[in-house]
Amino acid sequence: MSVQTRRRRERRRFTAGEAVVMAVLLVLVAAVSFPVLYALLNSFRGYAEITRDPMGLPTGLSLDNYARLFQTTEYGEALLNTVVVTGGTLVLLLALVPMAAYGIERLGGRSSRWIYLLFIAGLMIPFQVRMIPLVSSMNQVGLYSTLTGVILVHLGGAASFGVLLYCSFIKGVPREVEEAAEVDGAGRLRTFWSIVFPMLLPVTSAFVIIQALSLWNDFFIPLVFLDSSSAGTINVALQRMVGLMTSQWELIYAGAILAIIPSVVLFAAFQRYFIKGMSIGAVKG
Amino acid sequence: MSAATAETPAPEALMRPAAPRGRARAKRQRTVMLLFIAPALAVYVVMVIAPSLQSVQLSLTDWDGVNPAYDYVGLRNYQDILTSDRFWNATRNTLVLGLGSAVIVNVIALAVALMLDRLHRAQGFFRTIVYLPALVSGFIAATIWKYMLNFNFGAANTVLRDLGFEGAAMDWLGDNDIVVGVLLFIICFTLGGNTTLIYLANLQSVPQELVEAAKIDGASGRQVFRYVTWPMLAGAVTVNMTLAMIAGWTIFDQVMVLTAGGPGFISETMAFFIYKVGFGEYRAGYGSAAAIVLFVVVMATTVLANRYMRSREVQG
Repeated sequence: MSVQTRRRRERRRFTAGEAVVMAVLLVLVAAVSFPVLYALLNSFRGYAEITRDPMGLPTGLSLDNYARLFQTTEYGEALLNTVVVTGGTLVLLLALVPMAAYGIERLGGRSSRWIYLLFIAGLMIPFQVRMIPLVSSMNQVGLYSTLTGVILVHLGGAASFGVLLYCSFIKGVPREVEEAAEVDGAGRLRTFWSIVFPMLLPVTSAFVIIQALSLWNDFFIPLVFLDSSSAGTINVALQRMVGLMTSQWELIYAGAILAIIPSVVLFAAFQRYFIKGMSIGAVKG
Repeated sequence: MSAATAETPAPEALMRPAAPRGRARAKRQRTVMLLFIAPALAVYVVMVIAPSLQSVQLSLTDWDGVNPAYDYVGLRNYQDILTSDRFWNATRNTLVLGLGSAVIVNVIALAVALMLDRLHRAQGFFRTIVYLPALVSGFIAATIWKYMLNFNFGAANTVLRDLGFEGAAMDWLGDNDIVVGVLLFIICFTLGGNTTLIYLANLQSVPQELVEAAKIDGASGRQVFRYVTWPMLAGAVTVNMTLAMIAGWTIFDQVMVLTAGGPGFISETMAFFIYKVGFGEYRAGYGSAAAIVLFVVVMATTVLANRYMRSREVQG
């Protein structure tokens, strides 16, 4: 708030310095976006065209590659798998993590502190450290190469960050409201879901957006936990196409572009929460 | 327990305003809260803590990852790792790529944030377009680069040849001398995304009065940055560098896509090394030992980096 009002008051005439800054930023963005633009343009061209003239422009907006991507590869199934993994993990995270963080904050005392630290320790445990034993346990219980297995591995990895984020927010939520609800005879579980959880909306939106993006973009976990009996997630499917002896560049470009679109849509729809969420966590942390 | 003790709250309960109405109630509250925690804790322990501890155990064995039988070999895996040139090469690459990209990306992000902060008009618009490249995952970016850097039909060599620099066209991902540098370039080919947003948010919370006062005292733009803005950013630098280093130690996607560790083992990182020996070479025990080494490195750098940078914050 205060930042915004300060900025508004300070607004002055358009300076040359600002014009230069804008120009520099535009050039930087254009440079960094070049690979994506290149992939987009080439996703409208055929393999022969791409290899004959790598820097050529498409002659028309042919969606041929996109159609063939779904007809001749497992991309469609992989897309569906990615949706299931991302959606399933998000729903379970929201069902488990906010409640746990609330429990930790309201439990109080030494045990609460220890449970919190146990969760936070996970932030320092790279996925590689737990990957080898997890593969063999997943094999033993028959969850290897299933989406359920991938979701469970993701859940463990995201729990630490979730607990950190929710706990720091719940500290600031007054207890009086919950106590009033209890006097009215509501059970603890109902109090949580109907009174407390809605109050956590700012942190929930930030958490969901950050997690949705990182789940959608993840490559390593599905690579390790899905073998060729599954179509994989988008990234795994693309990696398999890259690995083939005769890689079909034009299809891979189309697949890469399709993989980016959901992130852009998510960002466009929730931009405000996005930027606020990123900044809340970091400034306080 | 008698009724009298139940009605007199315990001393620590007095300090906690939530539970002043008797011990039984407080106990019930604790049970309910533990039940709230239990499901998430169970998943977390089974998926993170237990397998991590099991890694410690496996690191002392010669397990191949497939056979149910294995023998304990003491610390031999650790000995083998620490005397293996291949592992030290992977460690050096991880340092170059992880630490190098952490520093470079932070410098880029801070520069972009400083530029955004100077805009009084259309700041929102520019903030949005600066963030857009960050929506492309490292995996997708690397996949596109792989084709742009292809020797025969890639964009990079085509442009160089068209411009007449035939000799500058290189086998970017197949040349031992440059491959790690090329990886570093691709990892750093970004405007920072989240890192930039964090710096920008912190820049905007620098009190404008301080900046004005310094200017009135005759400080130049550079001096204002050095003595006013930079110390105020110390917290953001700590957060961003720590996050970037933790991510840097586990760089994998780009290596897997672009070089698969090659040529030979030249461009392996620690994360890739663990993946390769653990699954590709059926040396799960050895891979687990390497994973434990990685964990120790991540923990040590995180703790040390935080301690160092926090001390700098206090002085700053």
